[in-house]
Amino acid sequence: MAYSEKVVEHAENPRNVGTLDKDDANVGTGLVGAPACGDVMRLQIKVSNDGIIEDAKFKTFGCGSAIASSSLATEWIKGKSLDEAESLKNSAIVEELNLPPVKIHCSVLAEDAIKSAIADYRQKQAALREAVAAGKSKNETTISAE
Amino acid sequence: MLDPFARLGIPRGFAIDRKAAEKNHRELSRALHPDRYLGAAPAERNRALSEAADVNEAWRIVRDPIRRAEALFRLAGATVGETSEPKTAPSFLMEMMELRESLDEAKSRKDPSAVTRVSAEVDSKLATLEQRFAKLFSAERTADAHEAGAALGLLGELRFYARAKETIREIQEAFEDAGA
Repeated sequence: MAYSEKVVEHAENPRNVGTLDKDDANVGTGLVGAPACGDVMRLQIKVSNDGIIEDAKFKTFGCGSAIASSSLATEWIKGKSLDEAESLKNSAIVEELNLPPVKIHCSVLAEDAIKSAIADYRQKQAALREAVAAGKSKNETTISAE
Repeated sequence: MLDPFARLGIPRGFAIDRKAAEKNHRELSRALHPDRYLGAAPAERNRALSEAADVNEAWRIVRDPIRRAEALFRLAGATVGETSEPKTAPSFLMEMMELRESLDEAKSRKDPSAVTRVSAEVDSKLATLEQRFAKLFSAERTADAHEAGAALGLLGELRFYARAKETIREIQEAFEDAGA
């Protein structure tokens, strides 16, 4: 199948390939896969304290379109707020990369990966807040017991 | 829907007698060959042509484990495809990502023995999956729509491992080319 120029460009020079520390509280990791074709994609975001995605990395094992979709996705979400990144639609990727109908699922995978990275980040942050709150109330009880 | 097993005259099941299937394909193709229908009526000739096409397609399905499994799920009444199959479990994805990364590392380290180790692991996973498919779909007993639907996730796993296997072959070929 003939790939569009933009797909070839991203597939040959993928941006933001790599990993971020998944144990970092400011990093969210999305891991998705396409059972229909066997592609796996990991997309990670590093979020600043004011809720801006300051870095994004990905690693995709799949076809050129899947690599291009995730490469483009990381480019687009960098510098965006979580809400902005979350509203990114796969159709925008399809349009930008000129993906043919049989490759639309690659863009869906990239959208899923962003959403799942954001969900992972939010879950981590919520767990952290809970831990802090639990710590505080524990301290309070100790204090009042004294 | 084409029943590739019936079309080739072999028992419906995941475990197949490849030689028998290949032989039936050859004999059916020969019997349906256009040369044998030179003097026949156009309708008769067209019927033979379309049957020959079905026989070829049936053989392509049956000889490919993924397409064979998909056909069995469909024949059992389950819907196969992107939107109907369940999302892959996160733990499986994590395992797959690790496997693909270890292959990637072995490739850049130019470490054929590491690739061979991963390859053996993938082979054993594929063998286990194939055993499960053979149990689900055998000539004696075949899964109903409900049971097949519940096992659809296995089809995804089969494709993930088959894909990894393709990559392994590509890496091994690249190693051989570099060595030669």
